Amino acid sequence: MRLMGTSWARRESTWGLLFLAPWIIGFVLFFGGPMLVSLGASFTDLVLVRPGEVHFIGLGNWARLAGDPLVIKSLLVTGNFLLIAVPIALALPLLMAVLLNSTRLVAKPLFRSLFFLPVLIPGVAGAIIWKGVLNVHTGWVDLALTGLGLPGPDWVNDPQWVIPALSLIGTWSVGNAMVIMLAGLQNVPTELYDAAKVDGANAFYRFFKITIPMISPVIFYNLVLATIAAFQYFLTAYVIYQNTAGPNNAALFYMMNLYKEAFVYYNMGYASALAWGLFIVGLAITIGLFAGARRWVYYAAGDR
Amino acid sequence: MFKRAVLTWGATLLVLALTGSNALSAPVAQTQTFAQTTVAPTQTPVSLNTFDPAAAGGRTVVKWYVGLGTGANPTQIEVERKVVDDFNKSQQSIYLTMQIVDNTVASQTLATQLAAGNVPDVVGPVGTVGRATFAGNWMDLTDLIQANNFDLSPYEPSVVQSYNLPGEGLIGIPFAVFPSFVYFNKDLFDEAGLPYPPQNFGETYMGKEWNFETLRDLSKRLTVDDKGNDATSADFAPDHIIQFGFDLQYRTGPREMGTTWGANRLIDNEGRATIPANWLASWNFYYDAMFKDHWMPNDAYRNSDLFGKGSVFNSGNLAMAYTHLWYTGSIDPPSKGGKVKNWDIAVIPSYQGTTTAALHADTFGIMKASQHPNEDFQVYKYLITNKDLLTVYGAMPAIKSMQSDFFGGLDQKFAPVKVNWQVAINSLAYNDVPNHEEGLPNFLKARQATTDFQTLVNTTPGLDINAEAQRLRATLQGIYDEKR
Repeated sequence: MRLMGTSWARRESTWGLLFLAPWIIGFVLFFGGPMLVSLGASFTDLVLVRPGEVHFIGLGNWARLAGDPLVIKSLLVTGNFLLIAVPIALALPLLMAVLLNSTRLVAKPLFRSLFFLPVLIPGVAGAIIWKGVLNVHTGWVDLALTGLGLPGPDWVNDPQWVIPALSLIGTWSVGNAMVIMLAGLQNVPTELYDAAKVDGANAFYRFFKITIPMISPVIFYNLVLATIAAFQYFLTAYVIYQNTAGPNNAALFYMMNLYKEAFVYYNMGYASALAWGLFIVGLAITIGLFAGARRWVYYAAGDR
Repeated sequence: MFKRAVLTWGATLLVLALTGSNALSAPVAQTQTFAQTTVAPTQTPVSLNTFDPAAAGGRTVVKWYVGLGTGANPTQIEVERKVVDDFNKSQQSIYLTMQIVDNTVASQTLATQLAAGNVPDVVGPVGTVGRATFAGNWMDLTDLIQANNFDLSPYEPSVVQSYNLPGEGLIGIPFAVFPSFVYFNKDLFDEAGLPYPPQNFGETYMGKEWNFETLRDLSKRLTVDDKGNDATSADFAPDHIIQFGFDLQYRTGPREMGTTWGANRLIDNEGRATIPANWLASWNFYYDAMFKDHWMPNDAYRNSDLFGKGSVFNSGNLAMAYTHLWYTGSIDPPSKGGKVKNWDIAVIPSYQGTTTAALHADTFGIMKASQHPNEDFQVYKYLITNKDLLTVYGAMPAIKSMQSDFFGGLDQKFAPVKVNWQVAINSLAYNDVPNHEEGLPNFLKARQATTDFQTLVNTTPGLDINAEAQRLRATLQGIYDEKR
């Protein structure tokens, strides 16, 4: 009987592996392999346009990375963006989800679709549109501000306004987070609200003492995703500023700097070190977030 | 009921905020930059390889790489295919195959192929920037030219010489040239009651020498705000300009700006970074034009809907644009609803008595790593003199006897507009030596530093240009000194 069970389990796992094989092969060939190659390249001075002159330089790239003023600048820009954009990327979808979860809102499916719609716009198209929308002379944001008697900033070209402008553009893509938040909200047991109402809790109290704790795993999930996305932020800044990274490098995100090293200067060795540096920083922050999560994330089942 | 209404209106406003920019903004135009000559962005990235092992048979395969310059739009691809087919039909020993890569990724793709050892044989058309990017990878053609008795006499010797690089040899034969001059919108001059700018070198304008001071005074009169005041008026509103007098169309980099006031380099004979005095003076002049006197658009104006999202002259709201012949590819002809109905070209003004009309030039190159240079050169000769390619690339032939056909084609395209193309031909005699796009040490980084400077100068009011120039010099010195 035991022998039969073992044989069946083995056969099942073989079939499982067989079905997984396309993904595994794809991962090894297109992700795992290149990752290992890039790790190796990070210890060389590989420059693509000089393929015959590659040398092993040990930790040379890593030492350079630690003291590179552009890396420091790019970390500051990314950190600045993270501090502004991540709270928005959590608060705005939560607000929209609460709105959509309200019993008083009519035409919910319509609004749900409309709120999600911008996610379907390709990032490049969205960035080009926003560049026009934020133009200081003809963009409708500044035209509206001017109409209200307020000075319209030069969102795209003034170094002070570059990060707020990109954060504003980021609101375009909160639809995914909104859907996840909405699912979280709909899973909060209504008995909790009923009981709180009986106890005289007002809406504000119910939101912060019931809703937020109950959906804290969802908020945490979005926090991790938004943080990683902030570190990987590239597309919109690239479309708007191309290789220039904006005036005074105001949009020199970490990924922008990495891109320039890899695909403008072709310094693949150093770019590989930058990529692995980003991986290490991202990993450290994610571990930190998980460590901190124990204090504020509530799991109804008592575990994760 | 009230809460329900408020919530619904709130949701509607949020939807408008998230999607409204789509509805309220003007149609999207492709952002254009001309880092290289003659490149017009294609709508979708192109990637095409014509290699057919069966057709190749036992012939030597020569690979032609297209994309570093122009060559990847559908009309061009059609002609390029025919050019390749015609060659292959005429050949017993060589099979020509073509790889076309979109310009936006052509440089990266070629770099990757180089690193992987999958090197094309013939590359082109390619401008100065493309050549400098892959410096050290081009074959010296001197021996091939001699062995094949290739006649260089139809070419301007100084242009041939510009491809003879120290340490690399003769890396190209002239294919196409793009002189520079001033495009002007006749209707805007007529509206202002002003005579057109000079079309002959040495001519005066309204009794004054045609220099940059005259250009400035003229441009101020052609720059107009939304109340109809020009830039000479005390009531002129610089935040509400609807028409500019002059722009350096796609030529706002420090080297491009500087060259209008005389050819020079950002490196001296000892290899030190330097800021030439005439270039610094020109940077201050153009910076004041953008942020003090307001007769030239800054980047915020250039990229606005009103000014063609970068293609300022084509918007119809610019009186004069200084740029190269390749800009004809960006002007919509009247037959296609072009906003500039009536235009012509004039000579560039002089600076302190000297006139400099910057030159862009394209060629083809053979990669040093190619295994069969003799076969490559047979292809090279065929491509470099091919009339169909010159026509479809919109390129002025480097061979003088082929130029009249080229301008005839442009006349057809822009009919009924009649353009005095002799200005373009005459401008060749005033080309910049050394060329403003010439390679610098650690070229890619040095070029990026100039691009960063360009962004700063074209976007930021209140700068001390002299101080910024010194910062640029220090940055360049650091880049030149970097160990490679």
